[in-house]
Amino acid sequence: MTTTPDLTPWITLQGVRKGFRIGTETVPVFSGLDLTIPRGDFVAIMGPSGSGKSTLLNMLAGIDSPDGGTLQIGGARLDSMGESARSAWRAHNMGIVFQFYNLLPMLTAAENVELPLLLKPIAAGDRRARVEKVLELVGLAGRGRQYPALMSGGQQQRVGIARAIVTDPALLLCDEPTGDLDRKSADDVLDMLRFLNRELGKTIVMVTHDPQAATHARRTLHLDKGQFVEERKAA
Amino acid sequence: MGYFRLARRNAWRKPLRTVLLMLCVAIAFLIHGLTASFEQGNMAAGSASDDVLGVASAAGRGQSLPMAHLSRLAAEPGIAAVSWMTRLRGYAVRESNIVAISAVDPATMVQVSGTELGLTPVLMAALATGRDRVLVGRTLAEVQGWRVGQRITVTVPATPNKEGSRDWRFEIAGIFEGASPASDTHFVIARYDYVNALRTRGTDRVEAFVLRPAPGIKAADLARQIDALFANSAAPTRTQSEKQFLQAFMRQYADVGLIIDLVVGAAFVTLLMIVINTQMLAVRERRFEIGVLKTLGFSQGRLLALVLGETLFIFLTGGLAGLALAKLATVMIGPGLGLVLPVQTLGVALVLILGLGLATGLIPAIRAMRIPVTAAFRTR
Ligand SMILES: Nc1ncnc2c1ncn2[C@@H]1O[C@H](COP(=O)(O)OP(=O)(O)OP(=O)(O)O)[C@@H](O)[C@H]1O
Ligand SMILES: [Mg+2]
Repeated sequence: MTTTPDLTPWITLQGVRKGFRIGTETVPVFSGLDLTIPRGDFVAIMGPSGSGKSTLLNMLAGIDSPDGGTLQIGGARLDSMGESARSAWRAHNMGIVFQFYNLLPMLTAAENVELPLLLKPIAAGDRRARVEKVLELVGLAGRGRQYPALMSGGQQQRVGIARAIVTDPALLLCDEPTGDLDRKSADDVLDMLRFLNRELGKTIVMVTHDPQAATHARRTLHLDKGQFVEERKAA
Repeated sequence: MGYFRLARRNAWRKPLRTVLLMLCVAIAFLIHGLTASFEQGNMAAGSASDDVLGVASAAGRGQSLPMAHLSRLAAEPGIAAVSWMTRLRGYAVRESNIVAISAVDPATMVQVSGTELGLTPVLMAALATGRDRVLVGRTLAEVQGWRVGQRITVTVPATPNKEGSRDWRFEIAGIFEGASPASDTHFVIARYDYVNALRTRGTDRVEAFVLRPAPGIKAADLARQIDALFANSAAPTRTQSEKQFLQAFMRQYADVGLIIDLVVGAAFVTLLMIVINTQMLAVRERRFEIGVLKTLGFSQGRLLALVLGETLFIFLTGGLAGLALAKLATVMIGPGLGLVLPVQTLGVALVLILGLGLATGLIPAIRAMRIPVTAAFRTR
């Protein structure tokens, strides 16, 4: 039951502008960025350092907001939401996977995965059941009581993925999810992301420096000097 | 894992630091509990009346007045009733088991402060059945485990009696309750005639006259009037309201109550500063993680609650431990020192714990709340 993306745009960026103030000057990162991503797509975004990949992810996540233009995801206008609305939106609609996992060290793997569920009105028993399920999904069944510090990088990233998908969001944003992993662990994580996209229909936007990683995506976009310069469809 | 659990987990990340903080809080509330119980047990002047005046020697505590002052007081206008008393400070069985005896003239004492002490006609009748009969206050009776009808012996080192002994024997005729639960009932009421007849020192002298102003007479004016009356006598007086009188009387050295309040206040202020400072540090150390939580969708309000919860956890754990220790102390060694820690005082302390916890947690919590979400990606 492999899913294919339908072709109607789900994420739409139109004329997005974004710059950062350094002292009195504003250094532009994007000055009129357009992008559409249909639901169920798996997009890899590549590009040199400083090209604005993380900045783009931040805006998609509602962590940062554009200076101008429109940013729409599934009918929601993120560019016109306030910070608290965006944080609520984030809690309900997306999962984020970080390069350095960003697990909380004082919590066990299972408790880390449970964190996003605390934001929802779900009873403790149901929360535990869902945590068990996603840990199993990422191949960490029975490892819930372990602390992140005692896990390998690959395992930690899988905990990170479990945390990102535990609320069953439609969108997954990954910033260099394999950047800190050896080849074998990286491939495991990429297989997992591919599974989430193909089998569970998650829309995934992944920033990566690794050409190998990009091959797992449905298509690859190259970002340079604030513009998409090339698109390559995966075979 | 609910919210509080998360806060608790945060608190236990640096166990030593958290334990030290809890210890600070525990010590502060132990001090608070002990001083509160001391004030409760020894300085229950809170319920004392401002309408009753006490006339003592101007020469200071421990000095007495001649009984002869009574006739001049009785002749003074503006006084509704006057009585007199002397005190014996002794102990029962063990030297640390202190018992204070007020030897009073029952008939007149009832007119002056019968209501305040809760002296019912039944009690007065019981006291009248024999010269060695005494009434014991409720708290003292409970602490000592004394019953009505029991014979007690109180050793009074400073006052030998005519039997050539410092042991004074009494029989308990009743238990008095005081007008309200806050009334000081940690003493024995004996009969002045019995004590005066039997003592070998200070015969026919009194430690204080107590009197009630006539209706419409201002207590303060009457006090000045009385002190003026005896100003040039051999034994000048110092007249105060019962409240002031009790407070001055109970505080054995200097102004113990004020010193205690200052010490406790200083302890609390220090505590607040230590905890605020430490929690600010903790928040700064966790900037990154707080950013991560925000990225996961934790709102500002939730982060505020999280840091507040952590501080509250530290205060509740430490504070309750301190109060438990204080309670234990009052039960174990308290009776001898007159320490009483009633439920109301514990309730007030609990409110104080929560209040201080919120007050100290607020600044670090607001700091945490304001950490920008994008910081999660920049700190590394
Ligand atoms: N908070 C900020 N303040 C100032 N400048 C910023 C900020 N965030 C990003 N920039 C600048 O914006 C540009 C794009 O940064 P961004 O982090 O998006 O690049 P990137 O493509 O993710 O790079 P890398 O591959 O190194 O992660 C860079 O020039 C960067 O210096
Ligand atoms: Mg980046």
